[in-house]
Amino acid sequence: MLIAQLTDTHIRLPGTLAYDVVDTAVFLEAAVRHILTLTPRPDAVIVTGDLTDFDKAEEYARFQQILAPLPMPVFPVPGNHDSTQGVLAAFPAVAHRATAGKAHYVVDEFALRLVMLDSSVPGRPHGEIGAAGLAFLEGTLAAAPARPTFICAHHPPFLTGIRHMDVQNLFDAADLAAVIRRHPQVLGYTCGHVHRAVTTTFAGIAATIAPAPAHSVSLALDPQAPPTFHMEPPSLALHRFADGQLVTHRSFIGDFPGPFPFFGPDGRIIGSAR
Amino acid sequence: MTLTATGAAITLSGCGKTFADGTRALEPLDLSIPAGETLVLLGPSGCGKTTLLRIIAGLESPDAGGHIAFDGADVTTLPIEKRNVGMVFQSYALFPNMSVIDNVAYGLRVRGVAKAERLRQAHAVLEMMRIDTLAERRITQLSGGQRQRVALARALAVRPRVILLDEPLTALDAALREHLRAEIDSLLRRLAITAIYVTHDQAEALALGDRIVVMRQGAIAQVGTPREVYFQPQNDFVATFVGITNRLAGSLKAGHFASAAGSLPFAGADKAEATLLFRPEAASLCAPEETGLVFQVEQVQFQGARQRVVLAGADGTRVVVEAPAEQLVAAGAAMGLRLDPSRLSLV
Repeated sequence: MLIAQLTDTHIRLPGTLAYDVVDTAVFLEAAVRHILTLTPRPDAVIVTGDLTDFDKAEEYARFQQILAPLPMPVFPVPGNHDSTQGVLAAFPAVAHRATAGKAHYVVDEFALRLVMLDSSVPGRPHGEIGAAGLAFLEGTLAAAPARPTFICAHHPPFLTGIRHMDVQNLFDAADLAAVIRRHPQVLGYTCGHVHRAVTTTFAGIAATIAPAPAHSVSLALDPQAPPTFHMEPPSLALHRFADGQLVTHRSFIGDFPGPFPFFGPDGRIIGSAR
Repeated sequence: MTLTATGAAITLSGCGKTFADGTRALEPLDLSIPAGETLVLLGPSGCGKTTLLRIIAGLESPDAGGHIAFDGADVTTLPIEKRNVGMVFQSYALFPNMSVIDNVAYGLRVRGVAKAERLRQAHAVLEMMRIDTLAERRITQLSGGQRQRVALARALAVRPRVILLDEPLTALDAALREHLRAEIDSLLRRLAITAIYVTHDQAEALALGDRIVVMRQGAIAQVGTPREVYFQPQNDFVATFVGITNRLAGSLKAGHFASAAGSLPFAGADKAEATLLFRPEAASLCAPEETGLVFQVEQVQFQGARQRVVLAGADGTRVVVEAPAEQLVAAGAAMGLRLDPSRLSLV
């Protein structure tokens, strides 16, 4: 199974730029074209929050228009720039799957089970799964202990060293870790929010922050550094689940020189004769 | 206005569903739903009706070997977004701070319909549903029933090939539920859209369905028109689940059904053990000498226009019948039971 992960797309109304710099829709269009060129084609696309910049219906509609060419199912969760109600209203299929008034839901259709968690807190930048969400997670994991599972949410449950983001990460990470540790079928946790690729371990499993297809939060590990962003090469995470193992690749979006063959028609390494 | 060019005919073949934990939610089943039909999936909690709806919607895929087609085209692997289905369910899932008209036009906006045209189409849907006066209200200003009407309008505005309604009235109070049920019925008939309606409420099922699929433990217990399901239940489960059913145990021999309460003519092959099923309204009370079935009146409940009478047979079997309020029925008296032969079934 192959999953493409989009995150922090921050779609806005046409003619407006994020932070007066980024035309986020153009980057998302490129990401969609990129997904369509992948071989094999991903089985599903997950979107780990901040689909929109201001939680406006028009922004959700634009997001959905841009993703319309994708033939595979799309599974979003809200980020702090979105809202639970916005995502549920824009995606009736999510609303039908969701429980407990939040956009928590399970995707049981694939070899890898996806548990989508809504970590958004109304009006606040930080994240919380909350008691109801943790109970949902506990019950969901307990119901299928033999199913390899991937948890997807917006907020990271760990510190990255980028201070202005760390102060708004997942506040109930310890409670989340306790649930995950009780269920060894959980293979990984993935999220967004920080707009750059980060990997660590959390609760004994692999945890990743997926890169954003548009602007990246600056890699500023100096605690005094001001909050800034860079226009680094856009990319997305590609999760491959095969033979019981979950592997995460980073796939850069754009035209790059290549592919160049390693071997010539004679089967010898090209350039080895020189 | 025509909201949908044509509803899709739906064909399910070998569609079963086993959940991740090994639970068999749905036994493999075949089902054909003609274009424009309102099909009601009826059954108790956990019977598989919602799983079946989700397979039709594209929210679940059937187990290997199962296929689903819309107008003959296989849609088994298409996600919900690509099936052109509309959904309405218990929670309203509307943009709370947006106007009714903008909510209804939302799906058209996603499809790139220009503003003037999408507003025109959204207004037309609201007019058809007679809620155009709500167009400029915000969702937060609406009652539960109004919100559910808007949710239905929103689902219809994109002219889906199939509309899926999953217990849409469950969250509403009884009076409103009945009112809205009538509205939905009239709307679905006018639109001739293919509709799949999931409910656990038999009154809703009988009122709305062109056909009803009664489900039990992941399998179809009976498919039929509301009248067939109500008056000719094919098994005990359907008889019990759909309304009050009386049962008389006995046998069938030489064209007569015989029980402890007496006998009556009934065509069919001899059967040593048979149960006669009938609804309270399929029976009427008469003098004992006018019929072969005689009971003793145990209880009489006056209900205004009608009275409900509980009778006991010689072996203690109780049956419930309805009688006109003016009929003289006294507790303790012996009374005959006359049954409408067209509304009996034998299992």
